[in-house]
Amino acid sequence: MSEAIGTGIGWSAQADAGHAGKEAAEMARAALPPRSPQLALVFGSSWFDQSSLLGGVHSVLGRTPLIGGSTAGEITPEGPSSHSCVILLLGSETLQWSVGIGEGVDGAPREGGQQAAYQAMQHFSGQQRIGFLLFGDGLASRYADVVRGIQEVLGTSSLVVGGLAGDDLRFSQTYQYCNDRVASGAVVGVLLGGTGKIGVGIEHGFAPISKPRRITRAHANVLHELDGQPATSVYEEYFGRDLMTQMQQTGFTRQRIAYPLGMRGETTDQWLLRNVVAFKEDGSLSCSGELLEGAWLQLMIGSRELALEAARQAAQDAIRSLQEVAAVLVFDSVARRTLLGERCAAEEVACIRHIIGPSVPLIGCYTYGEQAPLRTSAIAGRTAIQTGAVLVVAVGT
Amino acid sequence: MVNQLVVVFLGMVIGTLLLATMEWSTRFFGLLAILGSLTYLAIKLEQFYRQLTELHRLRDAYTQLDQQAKLIIRIDLELHRTQEELDRRLASLMSLQQLGRQLQVSLRPDEVFAKLDAAVVTNFGFAKGLLGMCPSFDTIEWRSLVGIKAQLAEDLKEHLRTSGFLKQILTQASPKTLTLGTASHPAERRLLELLGLPLAVVAGVIPHTGPGGCLVLGRATGGTATVRGDEELVAILANQLASAIENSALYEKAWGAQQELERKVRERTHELAQANTELVRLNAAKSNFVSAVSHELRTPLAAIKGYASLLNSGQFGALQPPQQERIAKIEKHADLLTRLINNLLDIARIESGRVTMERRPIPVGEFFTTVQEQVRPQLEMKHIRYEADLNGVKELVGDPQHLARVFVNLLSNAVKYTPEGGRVRMGLRREGEAILATISDTGCGITPEELPKLFQEFYRASGPVNQHVQGTGLGLALVKRIVEAHQGRITVTSEPGKGSTFSVTLPAS
Repeated sequence: MSEAIGTGIGWSAQADAGHAGKEAAEMARAALPPRSPQLALVFGSSWFDQSSLLGGVHSVLGRTPLIGGSTAGEITPEGPSSHSCVILLLGSETLQWSVGIGEGVDGAPREGGQQAAYQAMQHFSGQQRIGFLLFGDGLASRYADVVRGIQEVLGTSSLVVGGLAGDDLRFSQTYQYCNDRVASGAVVGVLLGGTGKIGVGIEHGFAPISKPRRITRAHANVLHELDGQPATSVYEEYFGRDLMTQMQQTGFTRQRIAYPLGMRGETTDQWLLRNVVAFKEDGSLSCSGELLEGAWLQLMIGSRELALEAARQAAQDAIRSLQEVAAVLVFDSVARRTLLGERCAAEEVACIRHIIGPSVPLIGCYTYGEQAPLRTSAIAGRTAIQTGAVLVVAVGT
Repeated sequence: MVNQLVVVFLGMVIGTLLLATMEWSTRFFGLLAILGSLTYLAIKLEQFYRQLTELHRLRDAYTQLDQQAKLIIRIDLELHRTQEELDRRLASLMSLQQLGRQLQVSLRPDEVFAKLDAAVVTNFGFAKGLLGMCPSFDTIEWRSLVGIKAQLAEDLKEHLRTSGFLKQILTQASPKTLTLGTASHPAERRLLELLGLPLAVVAGVIPHTGPGGCLVLGRATGGTATVRGDEELVAILANQLASAIENSALYEKAWGAQQELERKVRERTHELAQANTELVRLNAAKSNFVSAVSHELRTPLAAIKGYASLLNSGQFGALQPPQQERIAKIEKHADLLTRLINNLLDIARIESGRVTMERRPIPVGEFFTTVQEQVRPQLEMKHIRYEADLNGVKELVGDPQHLARVFVNLLSNAVKYTPEGGRVRMGLRREGEAILATISDTGCGITPEELPKLFQEFYRASGPVNQHVQGTGLGLALVKRIVEAHQGRITVTSEPGKGSTFSVTLPAS
């Protein structure tokens, strides 16, 4: 562990929101050697009364700067968890940070991203910026614009990584935390600076299974046509009419996330995954991320082995450039947990743990989306919106 | 001479070139050039055709692979569907087991109704859940709300109550699934509308004892698949809740009975304590009264004894034998009365704590010699053999004067009730931190019925021996009090016709 950056993690699965927040915060504070200043990253189940949860955290941590949000499941050092709260407390003299919040990201995503980044920039006192860690509303349809808004303020060369808040697969309302505020339809972030480093690794492990189709008409996150045909009809070719009808009527989340859409441009060598979120009456598909006209699209398939290998790869990428790792955050797609099942999901966390080492504090959550720069040369340095991926963020020196 | 050259393209004859013997001329070279071009064209065309055929073959293979991918996807999706159903069943069963453990420790029915939490609801594959206690068919008190805001809970309560749907739920034997497509009754459709969900399962929690309840679970469109058997699982959940309510109601009843019993015990204990206090007060009053009366009696008794003694001395003239005999009786009874009064006074003093027992070492040899001297005349008169076994005990600790009264009294009693030629034995031995003294006789013994009353004041055994043996009935009562004032204990064992043994245990230091 890094000596320059102190860390304390805590978690609680108490049924009462206030008690859970308090217990997790007490545990994190007890594990962190007394340092000032501090920063808290808090992730809690959407089933909790969110204000009570933050009330419990603040009763222990006082006015410590805080960001976080609701999840689709939590990750503790012991493995995947549900109906719980996890906290990472950072304490360092060599790191600087400043938090910000942007609201209304569903209506004006770009402005929301700009607002969050601008707020964080305004109060940032450090000389050197090392990255922006964000957590946004997982139900926002144009999240790519939120990231664009952030990069317009911070510059495209700035590292922007984060996850999308979830609500335990209810797809009703997610929550974002910024200091003592609980918001929905918002993006929260912390601008980190100083002498530390952030290592990032993101992988999904899905492989193409269908023949490629060209995206001939798409707008934002809505896929209208593939090879000149309505997107739904192409989708139906693979899933069959009966299953399509059932999916349209009753959800079948698992079936949809088992076969995400993989998008690849002419010049890129990595697949960006998109889940189908809704079937529209006009034959278009509403997806979990932005789609680009002209790009190739294929149905993707995953397996347990590929998923575990992806987790190993992401963890290795995250710690590669760091000399000392102070803490690791994992933003893991809820799709992976659903597909892997509880036992394999625990294996996935164990794989990451094995790579980063048993003494490094680790927490995380299951998300509706992951944002990180891809390794591909064509869009290197630009933050891409992924779905179905595991994102490992290592903080250290 | 003419040579014929056939030109074949793709197996087909496409032309014939006639080559006549001619002179080498410009025309010949031109013709040769055409021939070369045609040959090149033929070869290229064949290459393109073969590539085209290969492309067609690849396209067909690709299409076949894509068709196979479609088949794989559909089979895999079915597997996912089955897996999802199994996962949910497993999660439901595990949740039932965990809930069962939690319900075992529920002590009150209303605690049971508060056990439906987000983990149970989601493990059953639902997105929203309500569980309420229903004291009657038109009353619900929600105790568990999962994914439901307070205002919606109020609206649902009002709807269930006013539509009569609550009564239907509480009287139906098994859970009912409601879907927007199949809900026929307006009340059912309204319930789904209020929940904002396309599917709900409603069940009555109907215990044999204790309050009933209403369970509502709703599933969102975006959630997991609807699975057959939901009703069975919800029925198990409702039955488990009902059993827990019955158990907690019985526990509450048993707890109530225990509390009532404890209350009554406390009341009786208080009454007894009060009665005891009153008895102590009365006993003290009695002791004071006895003490006062005894004091008052001693003065005239001393006068009677004095005058009897004067008469007996002949100061007022010689007495006739019958007169001497009567005066001797007066003296004897006056002595008896004096002893009685002294014993009464001593008992009263000890009881009231007015007597302080000395605690000092008493050399045993000297002490028991003195005691034996006091009963020697009686021993000799009845030819009773006296044995003393000190067993190496050197000393007693206590008040020598009062302890002498104890042992004189016990030895004197032993002699009184032992027939002539009998045996009285005094034994001492150390038992841990105590000295045990035993006085045994070969007397008439005491019946088992009389043994418990032996140390009561004024109690005298009813055996024929007592007809002839004088006594006040206060001796053993006084002995007991003196021994207890030394933090000691006295017990007696006896067998009628064989003798008795009094055991006195005194602290050794």
